[in-house]
Amino acid sequence: MTVLAILIVLAPLAGPATALAGARARASAVAQAVGAAVALGCAIALLTQLAGARPLQGWDGFLYADSLSGFFLLTVAGVTLLAALGSISYIAAQEDSGDLGPFQVKLYFTFFGLFATLMLASLETGNLGLLFVLVEGSTLASAALVGLEGHARSLEAAWKYVIISSLGVTIALAGTLFVFYSASALHPASNLALTWPYLLAHAAALAPQSLRLGFLLAVVGYGTKVGLAPMHTWLPDAHAEAPSPASAMLSAALLNVGMYAIIRFLAIAHARLGGTYPRAVLLSFGFASIVIGALFMVRKGNFKRLFAYSSVEHMGIIAVALGFGGILGLYGALLQVLSHALAKSVLFVASGDVSLRYKTREAAGVRGLLAAVPVTGGALLLATFAVLGSPPFGVFLSELTIVRAGFARGSPIFPLLLLALLGVAFFAFARTITAMVTGSPPEPAPASPYRDPAAVAVTAAPLILGLAALLVLGLWIPAGLDAVLRQSAAVIG
Amino acid sequence: MQSLSASSTAGVLLDLSGAAILLLAFACLAFAAGTSAVAFHSIELWILAVLTLLIKGLAIPFAARRVLVRRLALKRDAAMSTGLSTSLLAGGALTAFAYLVTRPALLPHGTAAAAVVPLSTAVILLGALAMVVRRHTVAQLIGWLIVENGVFLGAITLVATFPFIVEAGIFLDIVAGVLIMVVFVSGLTRQLAEASATELRELRG
Repeated sequence: MTVLAILIVLAPLAGPATALAGARARASAVAQAVGAAVALGCAIALLTQLAGARPLQGWDGFLYADSLSGFFLLTVAGVTLLAALGSISYIAAQEDSGDLGPFQVKLYFTFFGLFATLMLASLETGNLGLLFVLVEGSTLASAALVGLEGHARSLEAAWKYVIISSLGVTIALAGTLFVFYSASALHPASNLALTWPYLLAHAAALAPQSLRLGFLLAVVGYGTKVGLAPMHTWLPDAHAEAPSPASAMLSAALLNVGMYAIIRFLAIAHARLGGTYPRAVLLSFGFASIVIGALFMVRKGNFKRLFAYSSVEHMGIIAVALGFGGILGLYGALLQVLSHALAKSVLFVASGDVSLRYKTREAAGVRGLLAAVPVTGGALLLATFAVLGSPPFGVFLSELTIVRAGFARGSPIFPLLLLALLGVAFFAFARTITAMVTGSPPEPAPASPYRDPAAVAVTAAPLILGLAALLVLGLWIPAGLDAVLRQSAAVIG
Repeated sequence: MQSLSASSTAGVLLDLSGAAILLLAFACLAFAAGTSAVAFHSIELWILAVLTLLIKGLAIPFAARRVLVRRLALKRDAAMSTGLSTSLLAGGALTAFAYLVTRPALLPHGTAAAAVVPLSTAVILLGALAMVVRRHTVAQLIGWLIVENGVFLGAITLVATFPFIVEAGIFLDIVAGVLIMVVFVSGLTRQLAEASATELRELRG
């Protein structure tokens, strides 16, 4: 199992290795996709080996993987695969048109692979300090992706991203410090005291005062990475300015890694402090995010910003689901993580194709997508309805589960509020996208930015793969995945 | 809006006096790490102490000064979004707040931690304040380093230190972070002529 765990982390480095060896964009992207596919395969293998078995542990707790980490590894590796597939024709087209120079292409693949590796590694450590180190490392790697295009606008977004996120994660470090301190009555060896399985096992002996402070700081800190309001201000800029496949990585992978960190702290806090305090914290941040996300989606404008605010909203939904708690709430939260990640990857990869063809990121400049580019237009429309929670896609099922979990808690106010906000988000999001998709395309029809028909075919691959997976999740949850979700929900408590 | 001349000691920490203050702060930290090294007979802590002094105390401030101030000829004014007196008062209030929240019940009386943790909380808050009120991107970067120092100060007194690998990793992150931020600041500066966050207005809503 250790070999598998190491392979997952190292496989995405295939892209950087190829790019640094001097390959052009297409070859590097293919290598990146192969690496991501290997990582995904290993994640699935690791999950099947972990099923019903003891968690993987090693190196003083620096290496730790249970079914919860396995589930997030699966999500992140899957998103990396979709984004790498999306990069094949997107980056090659940008290279051909001269928008990206050879150095920028090299930079893109180096940091793309590094970003994926650091995120996957952060899911495999049991040490909360190392978790901080890896999450901060992934911030830095992805900042280079955000600022890749080098305009004043993208540099500004990258600066905002790196400074706000770094400050956020530093606050999370302070939180980690207080959690560490809360265990000092146990007099453990310092390596051990910071590993979360140890903290969870000895939860009863933790000092509640400093644990409470530590949990709050950790939620605020890692919440900055997740994009929970009011710490979300970097998110729309970074998502709008990054190259589209990199936006998919930010929205569908990075935010989930932050959520994973919060879940680990939640498990410890829940074991010592009971449900009330963590629930209040998560529900407040969660509802704030949903409100902010839904309201800002009403504004028309840049469609990548629209998707970004939708991510804020969805992260809020996941936080609310964690706040509702119970097996149902946790199950719904994890299912939401996976289905949102798939839908958002499809949306951002499709938005890359749209912005290459129409040469704009403004929704008002895009008309008649379905007539001009049927595959991309269709995928955009389907993924839109998927992400908004229409049946028969995965998000519908997870949101239904979350609302049920809310009603099971007793008070109907929160789930009803959630439903109302989902309605607002539906209206705002669908209004913009249907206007983009329908109608007649502009004259003359936008030219294809791709070199040959093969590249056009490749653009469809991640869209179809992602939508197919979403559809499967909506209709039927495979028994293996169901077992993993239940086991993971039990970890949180 | 208040703008101070570069000769004022209250100017951004990029003045030589400012760099000296930073140096002093880092030296104190390194000293603290050193003392705990004596207490714990740990060679790793000594390595960290020396690294802290060399990189955070000397290399980063001087490199920042060279690259950002000399080469890019940044205006050394202390543009702030609040008046000087307001921000001084806010700083005082934050320090008092830090003592209020960390004093009772959280920490055992009479230990070193009881004295230092309120201080480190105050350092964190003041660093964050600097990031909020200063308009200069460079000042925001330094604010982040101050916050980081506050956390380190807390770590040293509260739990001796984080495990060595973690501590070394945090260190690496800070160095890489500063490098990346400097690249962005110089890129932005070239494009905007002056790296001032007030002009970062294009992305909104």
